[in-house]
Amino acid sequence: MPEFVALIWEPRTARDPQRPDFLEYMNGYTAFGEIAGPAIRGGAALLTDDTATTIHVTGGQHGEVVMHDGPYAETKEFLGGFYVLEADDLDGAVALARHIPAAWRDGGRVEVRPTMAM
Amino acid sequence: MSSVYVSIDEIIRVEGGQVVATLYRMTGQLELAEDSFSEAALEAIRRWPKDGLPERPGAWLTTVARRKALDTLRRESQRPKREEMAAALAAPTELDVHTVRDDQLRLVFTACHPALTQAAQVALTLRVVCGLSTVEIAAAFVVPEATMSKRITRAKEKIRANRIGLRIPPDEELPARLSAALDVIELVFTTGHHAPVGAGPTRVDLIDEGVRLAMLLAELMPDEPECHGLVALLLSTRARSATRVDAEGEWVLLADADRSLWDHGDIAAAIALLERTLKAGRVGPFQVRAAISCLHSDARSMDETDWPQIVRLYDVLLLMSNSPVVAVNRAIALAEVDGPEAGLMALEPIGSQVTGWHLFHAARADLLRRTGDVDGSRSALRAALECPHNDADDRLLRARLLELP
Repeated sequence: MPEFVALIWEPRTARDPQRPDFLEYMNGYTAFGEIAGPAIRGGAALLTDDTATTIHVTGGQHGEVVMHDGPYAETKEFLGGFYVLEADDLDGAVALARHIPAAWRDGGRVEVRPTMAM
Repeated sequence: MSSVYVSIDEIIRVEGGQVVATLYRMTGQLELAEDSFSEAALEAIRRWPKDGLPERPGAWLTTVARRKALDTLRRESQRPKREEMAAALAAPTELDVHTVRDDQLRLVFTACHPALTQAAQVALTLRVVCGLSTVEIAAAFVVPEATMSKRITRAKEKIRANRIGLRIPPDEELPARLSAALDVIELVFTTGHHAPVGAGPTRVDLIDEGVRLAMLLAELMPDEPECHGLVALLLSTRARSATRVDAEGEWVLLADADRSLWDHGDIAAAIALLERTLKAGRVGPFQVRAAISCLHSDARSMDETDWPQIVRLYDVLLLMSNSPVVAVNRAIALAEVDGPEAGLMALEPIGSQVTGWHLFHAARADLLRRTGDVDGSRSALRAALECPHNDADDRLLRARLLELP
């Protein structure tokens, strides 16, 4: 069966627990879970892009990791895919993510961001 | 113990870094570690004047801060992993020397983590390792307090979300992480030594914090020659600080400095330290820069300075880090050996990389003046004035403009 990824874009304020209709917001996602059911093969809620780190590796795969604070500001590149990685902390995640080819070739970048604990 | 400190405030500040570091290991939360320490500090201020100074103020503060952290965790019952953390906090803590060392190291590496911007690394280091207040840090970097507060809060949020610094970096990551920490410490020092903007040309607090941080890191990582190189660099540079500015707050040029006012004890200490360090045979940029600084500090006058050796050291440094700032300094030294024309020729190829750096234009103006090119010197001084600089720089540059025929 073919698979598709649904990327969620929303204003930062959308998930503010202080908003009066926060419960309604959350219920919306619960309801989607019921609608899509077993068609949902995976997914995660991401923390805001304040927590993001963008990496690239200079000098080939085994070169030096350069980290930048913040999300990847897309210019002419496109979102090519994603992995959900299990790691103890950012350092552990970067130690893996640095080997994703986009991190070290073709001028690509890899953005690493923690998921929300559910 | 009490005799070496000036005040209770200072004890609290000096011990603070270690207490926060220990609490951070126990709770895994920087904010909680800091808040608990602040509460413990308040209690110390209340009780020590009445009860007398405890025998080991650091241990006293750690114990009280731990209790405060436990109280907080008990109040906030919804926190995940609360039980686990509470258990870690409740365990008896007779801290051995290795644990203390690791805790502090972890805190330094957390604050200097490369996933944070360098501005945030510097601010966080001053906040959590040195215990400076947000107000003090904002003042030192001449930014509004709200800006600094936001910068620090955001950095802490990022650390929490990404679980940064809960372990010591593994060996393979250590060189890069250490070099980031050394850079942060140097930036603290240089911001004090030559304030980028603002009224005071130097900021003594940041100079001393920089030296203190460098010594701490060297103590924590005694086998890393670059840590000692940084200490030697900062000590020998600070040793000249008595003649950096005059009574009116104006820059004093190296050529005009009264070298008898330099701290010759610190200079000798820096040289001895550097000589010991170089024996390890693992030379890095900080050791080379320390060697250059020591040659300046040890010379009895400009003329007696070993300029050829300084140029050679800058050559070595350029091989290690191809930085335009190093290249400018090399050109200045070269002018002392081969004349101002040689210096100008060396400046030529780097000009485009440092157009926004006032000291590049000021150096060029000085060399042009020495070759007799008054017009060139004048326009270089004007270019320097276009770049960001502090008030004392401004007066010096304008005075030089007026001195031109």
